[in-house]
Amino acid sequence: MIMSDTIHIHIDRADGSLQRLIGLVERRGFHIDGINMADEGAMRRIALTVRGRDAARSIDTLGRQIDRLIGVARIQAQTFQSEAA
Amino acid sequence: MSAAAPALKTPPAPAVMTGARLLVSSLERMGVEVVFGYPGGAIMPIYDALTGSSLKHILVRHEQAAAFAADAYARLSGRVGVCMATSGPGATNLITGIANAMMDSAPMVCITGNVPQGVMGTDAFQEIDILGVTLPIVKHSILVRDAAEIPAAIEQAFHIAASGRPGPVLVDLPKDVQFAETAAPFGFNIPNETIEADPDAIAEAERFIRAAERPLIYIGGGVKIGRATEALRFFAETTGIPAVATLNALGTVPTDAPGFLGMLGMHGARAANEAVQASDLLIVMGARFDDRATGKLAEFAPHARVVHFDVDASEIGKLRETHVAVGGEIRPSIEALTERLAAAPLTIDPWVIRCASAAERHAARYDAPGEGVYAPALLKQLSEMAGDRFVAACDVGQHQMWAAQHCRFARPEAHITSGGLGAMGFGLPAGLGAQMADPDAIVVTIAGDGGFMMNVQELATLRRYGVPLKIVLLDNSSLGLVRQWQELFFAENYSEIDLSDNPDFVKVAEAFGVEAFRIDRRDQVEAGLARLLAAKGACLAHVVIDPKENVWPLVPPGKSNAEMMEGA
Repeated sequence: MIMSDTIHIHIDRADGSLQRLIGLVERRGFHIDGINMADEGAMRRIALTVRGRDAARSIDTLGRQIDRLIGVARIQAQTFQSEAA
Repeated sequence: MSAAAPALKTPPAPAVMTGARLLVSSLERMGVEVVFGYPGGAIMPIYDALTGSSLKHILVRHEQAAAFAADAYARLSGRVGVCMATSGPGATNLITGIANAMMDSAPMVCITGNVPQGVMGTDAFQEIDILGVTLPIVKHSILVRDAAEIPAAIEQAFHIAASGRPGPVLVDLPKDVQFAETAAPFGFNIPNETIEADPDAIAEAERFIRAAERPLIYIGGGVKIGRATEALRFFAETTGIPAVATLNALGTVPTDAPGFLGMLGMHGARAANEAVQASDLLIVMGARFDDRATGKLAEFAPHARVVHFDVDASEIGKLRETHVAVGGEIRPSIEALTERLAAAPLTIDPWVIRCASAAERHAARYDAPGEGVYAPALLKQLSEMAGDRFVAACDVGQHQMWAAQHCRFARPEAHITSGGLGAMGFGLPAGLGAQMADPDAIVVTIAGDGGFMMNVQELATLRRYGVPLKIVLLDNSSLGLVRQWQELFFAENYSEIDLSDNPDFVKVAEAFGVEAFRIDRRDQVEAGLARLLAAKGACLAHVVIDPKENVWPLVPPGKSNAEMMEGA
């Protein structure tokens, strides 16, 4: 079983904000399997599909770490389970 | 002009000034008194604007020292530390200091100049994407693209640096922004959003504590940072629950207080680690289960449930399952919990007695044989002679662990150490920053011969500004902690740890204009420390110690805290 999560994030467009978000996710031990992004005025709406590098990586902890970034307005995570290919 | 001007009905229009002047005015308005920095091409307009300002600029001799000094200044004063550097190499030299502040949650604002926006991204001379380089090691960063945004950016930077869980904030200012002339208002007064603790969580914490037979307080650096030292002390006194502390929390409960069992972890006190392993409830106060504190995580406090107080929600459950999470500011939470628990005493006497007798049984001994200087005894004596005004600014290595184990700390601010990052070279600039923050404190840099040489150039800064820092240089002519690990875990293959060709440190200090003398034997220690502490200005005591002396006890890396090694 492969667990993957999609995290929906509403983040500002300040210099470095995209790098800051992507860097955090990778640094905290997650693969990024998909990115979807749309601009909404001064904000960006981003959906990241992520997968922990090992079983110890917690999506809840990652969500809280993203949430504490300055410039993140909202965050929501959904978990999906699928059979390994 | 008429003598009586009419009262103004509207606030005066903001004056036109350069971005550089706006920056300096913004810092003045934030109440900044001291800035540690080093000039260079891309920050020259700001240095030009410093002339005539109320800011006291301390010219260090390496930007890394500016960041370390600002960090220590913040830790001792509780105010935001400020450092500044030019673009490129100036900015990259700050990096270790920024990382240090991040790891230990010190509030710091770092101001960097950058090349003009028009050439950013073209590999211009001294251009580095410092915002990009520092992303993983800052709490936040701001690239200011318009001079009119400077006051708001600075106010926001200070607010972010100091609020919640503090940390470093980088403000990058391209040179054209520093030169640009604009009118911008000041005074945004960002409101403090304090998160109230959930009363249900505190009630739940009380239920867990009352149900526990062997509760233990695990104090982290977050208590001091949250200005909750007094609240925590009252909590410990009221409940009688024994306590252990992390490296960064030493002094939160006075190290000689009853019920305090010492530091936990790799070089922790045996009584502290035993108590953690036996505990059935850990009351974690602003700590983060760092691996140097927990040892092998899976075997850490195996019988304990966890009540975790932390202002940073992302620390809850990060490494260890939490049964009760209490978020929000830590001080009101501790106060509310104390109030609840004061209603009826806990019945934990057998546990308290067990902890106290373990502490007595495992108390450190200072009767090492021989005539050479025994560093743990010297450090203990130093802290006792210096008294309640003592502040230790430690470097990293064996001396740092000895200081943590053996010094008396009356308050958490008295122990300034590079905990999370473990950055050699911190001690001397940290001592400089701490002494600038509190001129009345007896600040002593405790360093080894390895780390001291990493920022030795700051002796010149002490001399220039007449900073009366005291330095205890414990010289074992080697990289002692590495040597110890090579002895124990690498079959005594002593690879690249020999520093026996060190310079004559007394002559080095004297060449910088700093008083210095040598302590070779145990019978010289008391008089030597007295001379050091009585010195009017900066003074260095070069203390020769046994290269074979190790730090005990020791939990081997990757092992459980139950497996402490003891020296012969």
